[in-house]
Amino acid sequence: MRVALEESGKLALGLLGALVLALALSALSVPGAAHSPRAFALAALARLLAFLRLDFGTSRITDLPAVDMLASHVPVTATLIALGALVSVALGAPLGLLFGSGGLRRVAAPIVQIVSAAPVFVAGLAVAYAANRFLGWPPGAGPFPGPGELLHPDAQALRRVVLPALTVGFAGTAAIHVALRRAAAGEQDQPYRESLRRLGLSALEIDRVYVAPVILAGLFSSLGEVVVAFIASAVVSEWVFRCPGAADLFVKSVALGDWNMAGLILFLFCALSLVIAFIGRLLGGAILRAESQA
Amino acid sequence: MILRQISRLRGAFMIAGWSGLGLVGLIVALGDFLARFPAGHLHAGPALAPPSALYPFGTDLLGRDVWSETVHALGVTAANGAAAAVLTLVLGGALGFVAMRLGAAPRLFLRWLMGVLAAAPALLLAIVLIGLSARGYAGVAAGLAAAPLAFVRAFDRARSQSRSRRSEYARATGISAATLIRRDLVYEFRGVFLSTAARALAAVAIVYSTVSFLGFGAEPPRRDLGLMIAAAEASYLGAWWTAAFPALFLIALILFARLAAGLDEGERA
Repeated sequence: MRVALEESGKLALGLLGALVLALALSALSVPGAAHSPRAFALAALARLLAFLRLDFGTSRITDLPAVDMLASHVPVTATLIALGALVSVALGAPLGLLFGSGGLRRVAAPIVQIVSAAPVFVAGLAVAYAANRFLGWPPGAGPFPGPGELLHPDAQALRRVVLPALTVGFAGTAAIHVALRRAAAGEQDQPYRESLRRLGLSALEIDRVYVAPVILAGLFSSLGEVVVAFIASAVVSEWVFRCPGAADLFVKSVALGDWNMAGLILFLFCALSLVIAFIGRLLGGAILRAESQA
Repeated sequence: MILRQISRLRGAFMIAGWSGLGLVGLIVALGDFLARFPAGHLHAGPALAPPSALYPFGTDLLGRDVWSETVHALGVTAANGAAAAVLTLVLGGALGFVAMRLGAAPRLFLRWLMGVLAAAPALLLAIVLIGLSARGYAGVAAGLAAAPLAFVRAFDRARSQSRSRRSEYARATGISAATLIRRDLVYEFRGVFLSTAARALAAVAIVYSTVSFLGFGAEPPRRDLGLMIAAAEASYLGAWWTAAFPALFLIALILFARLAAGLDEGERA
């Protein structure tokens, strides 16, 4: 209970910080705010009062309310991150568990480093090239399908979604793999392993009963970093594959000085990673407590 | 036995990584000699000529020699990456370590502030910083954007060190706080400084090249690898060499930096 309260306090402070960050960016959209610290402080105060009335300003690009713009772009990013997460769990978890311990971990280390040395945009372009070369898919052609179309996708909709989702998924796989390996590395040479072996337990039994929960707890504790990796890869993936998502909107907003929009999107992404990190830490702590009680 | 093997293997990787980074440094230093044309030289050959004896990496859409452009761009990426890595080390690693020893108010404030900034991807922070300043500051922005995560990690490591039994004994025997900071800083960086620097270089090289790819980095004619790859987007489906060679050089730079860090798990951008 004390841990949950402590973590809730940290989450509340984190969300407050993210709000201050959004407020500071949004203040830049007030004319003359950048001229002096006093003008900036006054602009920030004006934006704070507007935020309290749930007025998040208008987009400088379209003159539409920033919240409406965000609401129309978020589903694309959410779809990519959700599909990318599916790919990551399907690929990352088995790979992490397979290469996360024992001799395979040492063999896999250089391969993992070489693969993960490719920045996400290079991976995205490689995926687009391979799809174009071997499947004849044109990159980023056609409108991005809505949630309804995704439930019953045709070939065109699938083509539009698969490549960016795969790119996000590969980046997420690398992040999950790193988190699992980091957790596994801590357990690799613990003295209790030798004691359990002497008691007659096989390496598989030790891994399954004693090590796996600790690694899982480590993964949950690193969920915040994993989510940050997903968001960063969504930014790049939406740009490479011309997907009209919130991450793509963020890049365009900063380029065009639309600070209301940029602040709101940054707040959304920060809040998402803070909340997921909070849930992950709670789950990780709960697993470790259950393990130590058992 | 196994631990000795791992240690030997790690040492071999580190030597390979530093040799690779040395090679990169050599290519950058001899860039004007190795490149056959100055940066941004248009119509050095026919447009989109494939790799050949005359143009080993081919030419791009504007007839620029891809080999010469890649060598020049590697120099820009490596120089900006190195400067950004220094910023990350100082404002992230070292400051995080020192901040832990400050008074309660500044310590908690800095940890909170950096924790919030670390919740946003470094890529987005770098884009915001460039948007607030200018594209010419992309290297500085990449270094500043990667600093919060390095700060948080150094701060948390320093906190666990200060709670250790060794530190409690030191305090009990009357060793001053300043001496403790100095000693812990030496422990923190001694032996691992170079690998920490290499890991920071790998992280900021990813951020810097990505912001450049998105159009927030280097400005023509002084292109870096990210901008070269972005410019190749119009032609790479038919002319793979326009993107493949700059991408390979970029991957090599990041990989060498990670190997030099002893295959520590890299920080993602």
